[in-house]
Amino acid sequence: MKQNEEQVQQDLLRPLFEASAAYWLAVALAGSVVLAGVCALFYQFYTGIGVWGLNSPVFWAFDITNFVFWIGISHAGTLISAILRLANATWRRPVTRCAEAITVFALSIGALIPLCHLGRPWLFYYLIPYPSERQLWPNFRSPLAWDFFAIFTYLVGSTTFLLLPMIPDLAMVRDRATGLRRKLYGWAALGWQGTPRQWHRLETAMHIMAIVIIPVAVSVHTIVSWDFAMTPVPMWRSTIFGPYFVCGAIFSGIAALILAMALLRKSLRLEEYLKPMHFSNLGKLLLTFSLLWFYFTFAERLTTWYGNEEAEMAVFWSTIRGDFAPLFWTMVTLNFLIPVPILAIKKLRTITGTVVASSCIVVGMWLERFLIVVPSLQRKFLPYSWGSYRPTWVEITLMAAGFGVMALLYLVFSKLVPMIAIWELKVGMQEAPAAKFGDAAVAASSRPRGTPGGPVITDASS
Amino acid sequence: MNAIYALYSDPGSAQNAFDALRRAGAALGVDAGKIVVVTSEPFEGYEFAAEHAKTHMFPLAALGGLMGGSFGYWLTSFTQTSYPLTTGGMPIITSWTNGIIIYELTMLGAILTTLITLLISAGLPNFKPALSDPEIWTGKILVGVTDPPPAARTELEAKLRQAGALAVKEFPPPSAAA
Amino acid sequence: MPHHWAMVVDMDRCTGCEACVVACHAENNIPTVGDDQASRGRAMHWIRVERHWEGEFPEARLRFQPVFCQQCEAAPCEPVCPTYASYHTADGLNAQVYNRCIGTRFCANACPYNVRFFNFFNPVWQKPLQLQLNPDVSVRSVGMMEKCTFCVQRIRSAEGQAKAEKRELMDGEIKPACVQSCSPMALVFGDLDDPNSEVSRLAKSNRSVKLLGELGTQPNVSYLQGS
Repeated sequence: MKQNEEQVQQDLLRPLFEASAAYWLAVALAGSVVLAGVCALFYQFYTGIGVWGLNSPVFWAFDITNFVFWIGISHAGTLISAILRLANATWRRPVTRCAEAITVFALSIGALIPLCHLGRPWLFYYLIPYPSERQLWPNFRSPLAWDFFAIFTYLVGSTTFLLLPMIPDLAMVRDRATGLRRKLYGWAALGWQGTPRQWHRLETAMHIMAIVIIPVAVSVHTIVSWDFAMTPVPMWRSTIFGPYFVCGAIFSGIAALILAMALLRKSLRLEEYLKPMHFSNLGKLLLTFSLLWFYFTFAERLTTWYGNEEAEMAVFWSTIRGDFAPLFWTMVTLNFLIPVPILAIKKLRTITGTVVASSCIVVGMWLERFLIVVPSLQRKFLPYSWGSYRPTWVEITLMAAGFGVMALLYLVFSKLVPMIAIWELKVGMQEAPAAKFGDAAVAASSRPRGTPGGPVITDASS
Repeated sequence: MNAIYALYSDPGSAQNAFDALRRAGAALGVDAGKIVVVTSEPFEGYEFAAEHAKTHMFPLAALGGLMGGSFGYWLTSFTQTSYPLTTGGMPIITSWTNGIIIYELTMLGAILTTLITLLISAGLPNFKPALSDPEIWTGKILVGVTDPPPAARTELEAKLRQAGALAVKEFPPPSAAA
Repeated sequence: MPHHWAMVVDMDRCTGCEACVVACHAENNIPTVGDDQASRGRAMHWIRVERHWEGEFPEARLRFQPVFCQQCEAAPCEPVCPTYASYHTADGLNAQVYNRCIGTRFCANACPYNVRFFNFFNPVWQKPLQLQLNPDVSVRSVGMMEKCTFCVQRIRSAEGQAKAEKRELMDGEIKPACVQSCSPMALVFGDLDDPNSEVSRLAKSNRSVKLLGELGTQPNVSYLQGS
C-alpha cells in the first residue's frame, strides 16, 4: 500500500519538476497564436469594430458565437465534479482537477470576450454597479447585466472549487521543493498542516460548494441563452432556449474534458490513472447528452415548422435547405450521427472512440452556436434590410487566439500543480476501517471509501 | 512550540497511539488539546479523525446567501428608483428581472461565506511553524504531543513506540550539526 | 401640456424621391460610409425608402415605404441596453444617449425594423465638408449606436422657444428634416396628445396600420396604406 502511494506521488509530481522539449514547443506554438491574437485585438481597439465582418443587420457573429462556446465549455468541470461528487461516483477522483481547470480557464476566456466585442471597450466599467458621478447604475433589466452577475458568480465559485482542493497538494509540493519554489508553494499552500479539523472543514466546504455550484452553472448558461431569447428576433424568441443551452453546454463541456484528459494522459504519461474506464463512463454521459441535444433541437425545429410563422420560416428554411444548409447538416452529423454509434456500442467506446466523438462534438457545438446567432440576424422581419455575413482575418485570428490562450493556460497549469488531485486519489485507495464488535475485530473490507454508512469506531476498552 | 511525535504506517496503529495518549493524558500532564494528528489525506471512521466533526458551515452558508439576496434586492430596487428611466414599457421596478440578480447574489453570498468560514475555521493562512513531517506525504500518519512537560517525555516516547511507531521524532528537528 | 410625438406616413403620396434621406443626413451629421463599406451593408440611413414591387409586367407597380425609428412605446431595444443608452422619454420618444453607449449592439439586434446603425469606424468628413455639420447635433464617434430621433434637437429648440414666448406649441410648428423636405407632404409630424393635430386626425384614419404591429412594439408611427 505504501509503495503504491509512493508511486502515485512520484508519477503525479514528476511533471512539476521536469519539462520536455515537446512541452516547450507546445508553449511556443500556443504563445505565438496568443500573440497574434493580441496584435489583432489592439488593431481592432485602435481602428474600430469595422475591421470585423459585422454589418447591418448582422451585429453579432463570431464574437457572440465564441462567447457562448467558451461559456458552454466551462460547464464541463464544475458540473462534472460537483454532480459526481454529490452522487458519490468515486470514479470521478482522477478527473476532477482536469475538469475544474477547464472550467476556470474557459470561463475566463468567455468572460473576456464581451469586453473585447464592445464598440467602446475602454468604457466597459459602465457595466459595473458602482456609485458613479453620473448617478446612473447599470440597467438590471438587460440580459447583459445578468450575464455580468452570473459569470462573475460562476467564476468566483469555480475558482474556489478549483483552488480549495489544491491546497493540500500545494502543501505536498512545498514539502518536497527547495529554495524559491518551496517559498512560493509555501505561500500558495497558506500554511496547510493536515489536521483532522482542517480536513473536515475542507471536505465540508467542498460539499457545500458542490451543492451551490450546480444551480449557478445552470443559471449561467440559461442567462447567456436569454441574450437571444429576450429579443423578438425570429427563432431567437424561444422559451426552450434556457434548457437547450444548458444541455448544449454540458454536452460540449464533457467533450472538451475527454479531449483534455486524452491529451494529458499521453503527454504526462498518466496511463495508470486515467483508465479506459474513465473515458467509457464519460462516454456514456456524452451519449446521454447527444441524445438530449438531438431531442431539444428536434423539438425546437418541429414547433417552428408546425407554427409556420412567416418570419421564422424564412430563417428555418435558410438553415435546412438554404445558405446555411451545409453547415446545419454538418452540425447534425458531428453532434449526433457520428457520436451516437461510437458511444453506444461498447466495443467502440474506447479512448480513441470517445476522442473521435468528442472532437466531432466540439466542432459541431461551435457550429450550433454560429447557426443560432447568424441565420436569425440575417433574416429578420423586413426583407428589404436582410443581410449577409462573412468573417474577416481579425475575427478568425481572435478565435484562434482563444484556443491558444486555453492551451497556454493549461500547459502552464500542468507544470505548477499536479493534474490529478493526489489526496483525493489516496482517499479512493483507502480501505474502510475495520469494524469492532466487543473485543473481536472484523477484517477490514476493501470497499471503496465514500460508500455511505461506514462504521464508526469506538474504543471498546476505554 | 516544540513537540514529540511518531509516525505510523496505518490508521489502526495511529488510533492506538491516539487512545494511549488520551488515557495517559491527565497523569502525564498532557491535555487532550495538545494531541495533534497530521495526515496527508482525510480519514473517515476513525476516532482520531472525528474531533471537531460538528460545524456550523451549512447554516452559515445559508445566512451568507440570505445576506447576498438582501443586498441584491436593495441594489436593484434602490438603483432603479434613484434614477427612474422607462424602458420597453416595463415598470420602473421590474421584479421578474430583479429576481435574477437577487438569485445570483444569493449564490455569491453563500460561496463567499463558505470560503471565509473555511479559512477562519481551518486557521488558514497560517505561516507560523506548525507540527508536520515530510514523511506524511508517503502515507504515514503523524501523532504527537505539542509542548509536552519535559518530565513526561520519556514516558510519552515509550507509549508512542508501544503503539507501533515507525519512528519517534522531535519537533523542531534538531539542527543538522556539521 | 405634455406631448406625445408621433408621425404618419402616407404611402399613397410617397414618390420615392428620397429627399428625406438626404435631408436627414444633412441635419443629423450622418456620415456617408463610402461605396466599399456600403456594399458590406454598413450604410447609415436613419431613414430609408424601401421599394416593393407588386404584380408582374405589364401590371407591375412600385410601392415606396419610408422606414425609420418607430419610437415604439414597448420598444424591444430599450430594456436590453445595459447602460440605459436607450430609454423612453416622457414625451414618447425613444432616446439614444450617445455618452452612455458602449457599443454592445444588443439594441440593434433586438430592433425588428433594422433602424439602428452602428459607427463601425470613426466617421470622416473630407475638407471642407466638415463646415456643413449641424452644430445642434453631436457628431458620433466610433463604437456608438445611432438612429432617428424625430430631430429631437428641433423639438427641444421649438419647446424652448415657445416657453420663452410664454405660449403653447402650434401644430406643424415642429418639422423634422424629413418632414420639412418631403415635397408630396407624405410625412406628417405632430402631437398625438393634441386631438386637433393633423397627426391625431390621420392616425385615426381607416387606412392607418402599424408596421409589424403584431409584434406588440406599439410603434408611434402610422402608415396610411396605399390604394
